[in-house]
Amino acid sequence: MSTLVDTELSGTRGLVRVALRLDRWRTVVWAVAVAGLTQVSVSAITELYSTPESRAGRAQLISSPAATALAGPGYGLDDYTVGAMTANELGLWIMVPVGIMALLTVTRHLRAAEEDGRLELVRSAPVGRDAPVVAGLAAAVVATLAVGVLTFLALLTTELDAVGSAALVGGVVMVGLVFAGVSAVTSQLTAHGRTASSLAMAVLGVAFLLRAVGDVRGPESTSVLTWLSPFGWAQATRAYVDERFWPLAIGVVAAALLVGGAFWLAGRRDLGTGLLAERLGRPRATDRLTGMFALTLRRQLGAIVSWGAGIVLSGALIGLLAGELVDYVDDEPQLAQMFPDGPGGVIASAFALYTVFLAVMAAAYASTAVGAARSEELVTRGALVLAGPVSRTRWLGSQVGLAGLAAAVIMLLTGLVMGLTANASLGSDGHLAELVGASAVTLPAIGCVLGLAVVVLGVAPRAFGLVWAYVTYVGVVGLFGGLLPDGSDVLSPFTYTPQLPAEAMDWPPVLLLTVAAAALISAGLAAFRRRDVVG
Amino acid sequence: MTENAIAVSGLVKSFGAKRALDGFDLTVRTGEVHGFLGPNGAGKSTTIRVLLGLLRADAGDVRLLGGDPWRDAVALHRRLAYVPGEVNLWPNLSGGESIDVLGRLRGGLDPARRDALVERFELDPRIKGRAYSKGNRQKVALVAALAADVELLLMDEPTSGLDPLMEAVFQQVVQEAAADGRTVLLSSHILAEVEALCRRVTIIRQGRAVQSGSLEELRSLTRTTVTAGLRDADEAERTLATLDGVHHVQRDDGHLTVDVDTASLNDVLARLTGFGVRSLTAHPPTLEDLFLREYSDELATLGVEGSR
Repeated sequence: MSTLVDTELSGTRGLVRVALRLDRWRTVVWAVAVAGLTQVSVSAITELYSTPESRAGRAQLISSPAATALAGPGYGLDDYTVGAMTANELGLWIMVPVGIMALLTVTRHLRAAEEDGRLELVRSAPVGRDAPVVAGLAAAVVATLAVGVLTFLALLTTELDAVGSAALVGGVVMVGLVFAGVSAVTSQLTAHGRTASSLAMAVLGVAFLLRAVGDVRGPESTSVLTWLSPFGWAQATRAYVDERFWPLAIGVVAAALLVGGAFWLAGRRDLGTGLLAERLGRPRATDRLTGMFALTLRRQLGAIVSWGAGIVLSGALIGLLAGELVDYVDDEPQLAQMFPDGPGGVIASAFALYTVFLAVMAAAYASTAVGAARSEELVTRGALVLAGPVSRTRWLGSQVGLAGLAAAVIMLLTGLVMGLTANASLGSDGHLAELVGASAVTLPAIGCVLGLAVVVLGVAPRAFGLVWAYVTYVGVVGLFGGLLPDGSDVLSPFTYTPQLPAEAMDWPPVLLLTVAAAALISAGLAAFRRRDVVG
Repeated sequence: MTENAIAVSGLVKSFGAKRALDGFDLTVRTGEVHGFLGPNGAGKSTTIRVLLGLLRADAGDVRLLGGDPWRDAVALHRRLAYVPGEVNLWPNLSGGESIDVLGRLRGGLDPARRDALVERFELDPRIKGRAYSKGNRQKVALVAALAADVELLLMDEPTSGLDPLMEAVFQQVVQEAAADGRTVLLSSHILAEVEALCRRVTIIRQGRAVQSGSLEELRSLTRTTVTAGLRDADEAERTLATLDGVHHVQRDDGHLTVDVDTASLNDVLARLTGFGVRSLTAHPPTLEDLFLREYSDELATLGVEGSR
């Protein structure tokens, strides 16, 4: 297994095997999840838009600027087949997660391993400088291909044709490769895995925006901006409409150039360092950084801002799209008949559904904040603080309190922004109070999810994975509750929340949920006081 | 004011099937620097975490500064400071910010003392937590603990990442703390450090205290090694071998080396003069000898020749 000539690539094979072995379950979960959700979504589209008329209506809805920003360049809108709809509206939402997966895989293998000293051990063996980079990239390529192959097979089980599916999946894989390359470069720039992946995520965000703005300004990939984005290249394959494969070559070349650049940079820096110097902090804390709450806020601010921005912006988009939805319903008399209250009823149901969806996102943030408290405990920073005159209740209570407060602020701000944008797009002024109210009424249910996370942390901290399973369950029954068997949603607190503005306000369940949330949080704090602090 | 800062008896703590502490006893007198010795996994950190009220004792009696460390944790923590062996800092806070935030949680640090310690440990307080080396993270925890105005310092292998220069600074700072009347419990496996700083030590093994007392007392429990250059070494060898309290008699030409129990030391020295002493050296047992003696059977299993 050892090579005769020692090069910068010595030991690559062994490292690739280790990397693949470390990632095998992660890769399987990603591939199954992406392929499964793609298959389910295509089947849903096929069933929901079974007639040419309904698809034409959808084409009109999706060609609006707000919708285009979240979809694609709009190929085949004049004959909007299920395939064209899949490529235009679903494709981007397969590419984004796969791009994120690829970039996280690379930073995990390159930067995180170097940060905690594992790479030093590896490099002291007869292993070349480039071998770990190759291994990290290989892991990302294998994961991307695994997702691609399984998704392609899943698409073949639908009514979509193989050539179009190859173009769509080819675009997905290409996006994965490009962001693996981006992240290989950012991994050379900074000394820290978190910073390296944040930088790569920022590049992904810019690529997303370039494509969005490009497609809004010039449909069918006619804007230069679209051609500056890997997402633009991937969508330019015209999958299921009039396939062409050459745009994929741009991505492959870009990925190759990025990887070459990463190797070049890797040769110019020392192990354990980044090319960008670490910025220095303050030699002493400002007066504001006093107490548990301030410390937690400092730790969590990044997470609060990014979750908050995502949720509030989604609310803004929902508000902006409300106008398009009304036009669509007006154009579709059959659809209007399904909703006896007319367009107003459709809008109210949509707002109610999306508010729950956004509230689940806020609850997910709150759960990650409790998970962060668990990490503090595990990495012994908890003990460092708890060895001071800080009670368990104060330590955990501050973190839970901030999580709840941040989730509430995010939710109310979302209601405010959704209300303002809805007023603007619907040309009325009744939606602000209505949607702020709808958002506020979800807060007790968010508190229940938060409380459950605190109980798990207090009683069975090792089983914290259960919290993520529960949040996923709450999200699925919140969005697809109507399609699932009766009674499958009894364990979600959002089931008991009045679906404002589609339903009338109902105080008793809201008050009961508030009591339940308070009881869960108190029980979790009490359990945490009684158990051993680990780590 | 209690006489003992720490009084632990019969302490038991299990993690699942593993008994980390199995009837452990520890007494630390107020104002002393007490060495706490044992290899990894013997139960040192578990003991300190019980003393901090982070772990709950399964059985036994634990008193810390006159209180119950589990029940009165917050009140007791105002009077003590802790330095862990493995320090993790908040990645996006600078070292200086971490020191201040920890200090303010206890109501503020003396800024002059803080700055002096930062300087003595040659710590750059502007570096972010994620960028510090292990030794520098440890310095942050040391500064935060030593700058606090407390009666008791609990230190769990506080110098495992420090270089020899900083180790010297550390010893000086601990001596100053002791001179101020502070009590220190110093867990370590750097025996030279404990020997330099501590008058009393406790050796822990598999969750039990196997030795505890002043270094002098412990030394008296073991043997002094005497090497003498003698005119009549043959005769001396024969005579000494018959005496009680004399062990490991070794001849090397005119030199004789023996291990002598403390009780027999006077007798042995008196007899040696009868064989024409030309040179004489005697070492008291080092802490290392004491320590390795407690672990001699384990060393034997590891294939290492045990010390005398």
